Amino acid sequence: MSSTLVPEVPVTNGREPAERAPTDWKTHAMQSRIRKRYAAERRFRLLGLGAVALSAAFLVFLLGTMLINGAGGFVRTEIALPLDFPALSLDVEREQLAQRGADLALAGAGLQNAVGVAAVSAFGDEGEDYLADNAWLTVREAIKDDPSILDRRVTIAVPASSRIHLAATDDAEPAIEAAAARLNAAGALTRGFNWSFLTGSDSTDPTSAGIWGALKGSLLTMAVTLALAFPIGVLSAIYLEEYAPKNRWTDLIEVSINNLAAVPSIIFGLLGLAVFLGTFNMPRSAPIVGGLTLALMIMPVIVIAGRNAIKAVPPSIRDAALGVGASRVQVVFHHVLPLALPGILTGTIIGMARALGETAPLLMIGMRAFIGSAPEDLASPATVLPVQIFLWSDQVSSGFVEKTSAAIIVLLVFLLAMNALAIYLRNRFETRW
Amino acid sequence: MTLFPLILLAFGLALIGWLVARARAARLQSSGRERLHSLPGQHGWYVAMWIAAPTLIFIAFWSWLSPALVVDAVLATPEAAQLPAAGFERQAILGEARALAGTEGLGAFNPLAETLAPAFEVYIARYAWIGTGIAVLLAFAGGAYAFTRIAPAFRARTQVERGVMLMLLVASLIAILTTLGIFLSLLFESARFFSIVSITDFLFGTVWSPQVISERDPGATLGAVPLFWGTFFIGAVIAMAVAIPLGLMSAIYLTQYAAPAVRRWMKPLLEILAGVPTVVYGYFAALTVGPALRDFAALLGFPYASSESALAAGLVMGVMIIPFVSSMADDSIAAVPTSMRDGSLAMGATTSETIGRVLLPAALPGVVAGILLAVSRAIGETMIVVMAASGAANITLNPMESATTVTKQIVDLLTGEAEFDSPKTLAAFALGLTLFVITFLLNIVALRVVKRYREAYE
Repeated sequence: MSSTLVPEVPVTNGREPAERAPTDWKTHAMQSRIRKRYAAERRFRLLGLGAVALSAAFLVFLLGTMLINGAGGFVRTEIALPLDFPALSLDVEREQLAQRGADLALAGAGLQNAVGVAAVSAFGDEGEDYLADNAWLTVREAIKDDPSILDRRVTIAVPASSRIHLAATDDAEPAIEAAAARLNAAGALTRGFNWSFLTGSDSTDPTSAGIWGALKGSLLTMAVTLALAFPIGVLSAIYLEEYAPKNRWTDLIEVSINNLAAVPSIIFGLLGLAVFLGTFNMPRSAPIVGGLTLALMIMPVIVIAGRNAIKAVPPSIRDAALGVGASRVQVVFHHVLPLALPGILTGTIIGMARALGETAPLLMIGMRAFIGSAPEDLASPATVLPVQIFLWSDQVSSGFVEKTSAAIIVLLVFLLAMNALAIYLRNRFETRW
Repeated sequence: MTLFPLILLAFGLALIGWLVARARAARLQSSGRERLHSLPGQHGWYVAMWIAAPTLIFIAFWSWLSPALVVDAVLATPEAAQLPAAGFERQAILGEARALAGTEGLGAFNPLAETLAPAFEVYIARYAWIGTGIAVLLAFAGGAYAFTRIAPAFRARTQVERGVMLMLLVASLIAILTTLGIFLSLLFESARFFSIVSITDFLFGTVWSPQVISERDPGATLGAVPLFWGTFFIGAVIAMAVAIPLGLMSAIYLTQYAAPAVRRWMKPLLEILAGVPTVVYGYFAALTVGPALRDFAALLGFPYASSESALAAGLVMGVMIIPFVSSMADDSIAAVPTSMRDGSLAMGATTSETIGRVLLPAALPGVVAGILLAVSRAIGETMIVVMAASGAANITLNPMESATTVTKQIVDLLTGEAEFDSPKTLAAFALGLTLFVITFLLNIVALRVVKRYREAYE
């Protein structure tokens, strides 16, 4: 096509170019050709802008959907439940309430039934369905705080069932919608921040399901990952960058590391399943196994970031240290490593963020069981935040939709904080030589 | 003692050794008859190394060995005679008894486990004390040996540095060990699978339905071609149809047209897309994109529209890959020498003509390598397809129909409560091996191309 843009120059066989008239840019043909080219230019540019805008729109749409769906997960609807304790006649000794057996005593006295009865007498036949399954636990805590309420009529705000909660915030079936409207008109519905979402563990009832158990599992797993991947990653980065002779072995190490960084994460899960669970008989679903698996996964990320950071330290620093008599080990550990540390830390945090969001390998090593309480230690069964999101997303009960999105928001907040920390470290400590 | 206190103990003893040895070396120095070869601190490190290294190696060895010793000891007790001979039940009872040991007041599912629990408790405690004893003994032996060598002429620094170099070498060997571990574990389990199912049935069979595996001919329903097709269709066709145009055009716009301020803001913004966890994409695909596409397809009159369509998974996966393609393209375009770009512009070409005829052709190897890496990432992606694609293995060209992938099937096969030795479980490892080999080859080729391309312009 280039031949159409510029008039052809006749072949001259090395002699003077043949004479030809200069191009007349004013002619109609030339002008329209230029207009066409400029239009193509504008189209191309718009296409590029459109691609950027479309990608950004995807991001906004994704985050927006999660925010809108998830906001409700942090809120819970409470019902002011009138309780006439003398009429309910709970068979409980006052002395027991001051002791450690108070929970058992109240449960044995039929408190759960009594709360149901109170709900029926207050809100009609379906009253019991308006309360969350664990509503009586709130009443129990209230009694333990102040046993004297057992002698009088009190009103206690208890969590509403997820159907009432959804009806109060969103569309629902007409019957429930009407019930919610009636409760609202009676002034019985209040809304508050759902602390139990942040402090509770997994549950089959969406109103009482919380993420603390999964969050603690994530923190334990990350601790193991960091404790293993950071030292090993940094040490091998130092070796490869500073000491490794150039031979077939170090080439092999390099190829391995570059490839490991691109191996699908689920393969690491298969490795964990076959080696840690199969060969070493380590406990299933334990944070220590998850941490080991993720450590192998992010170690190459740390090695690559570490090598780049070490490479960026100028040779003059090494020469100066060697010049005043430092040994090769001292040069690295006293001079190069401190200067490279911000870069290494940035890479480590980015690797840890990747590990925190990882799901597939942890499914392979069995971290997908229902765990109703926060893990005690590194060997007890646990789940992690992304797996909890996956498990909730499979739940049929509609109350879990907003719980899932709320858990996603918590996960994204953690990731955002980690990335912000990485950016801060890079800007604060990065030295340009 | 359990693992962590033991490790702490090893480090504590090493710290004490460091302090004592440093003090001793400092006294030698201040007595001043002879000059020390190494600094007192280096003598300290030498002793600490001799305390920590053997102790930690022993702890690692012991934590691997002692559970087996405990089980052996428990099996030797008279109560263990009632255990079923072998198999799953025996393991379950032993596991339950171990879990019961050390916890009080919990009831047991199996009464036999309850009778074995005290034995477990006794032997776990006994072997823990034996382990602690040996660890302390080793620490003292190592420390004493090192301590006796402290002398003015002793080259502690040389010794410590030799130790440090060994540590560095071992750390970098772990990468090779991991690769080897992945390869061998996949190969080993796959070999067991291929002893049951013939390799040709697996690689070329077109029926995939692991729910019904016949005893006589297990290979008949374990043909992986529909999975390979689904993986290729979702990861390499649909996802790339989204990611390549959007990623490439974004990179071109941000490097060639955008004002520096726009570039400074938009580039990190797009990188966020790569930082969002895949489980979030999966949830988004399953909850929002899938149903929306099904309704849209029904509106257009597609007969087999499914909310678990290949299109939903592929589309969302493509969005996830955009920043990946765009940053690879960005790098390769930036690597083209400016003189080529300036030359083209100086000849009167417009920016788009320069990009299309000079920059892109010159950057093509890098861009292609980037796309290969992106494909390798897309076909290894798991959570999006697990949550948004279906389990039905179809060979179809209709993106509205459901398709399944290798990764989705690995997850499905391994999350049932099947035994470890069934062809169903082992098939997951064979699929894993196939996936590993394919991504490995893609990565090697792409990394080669990138390297050679970089050298061409340097």
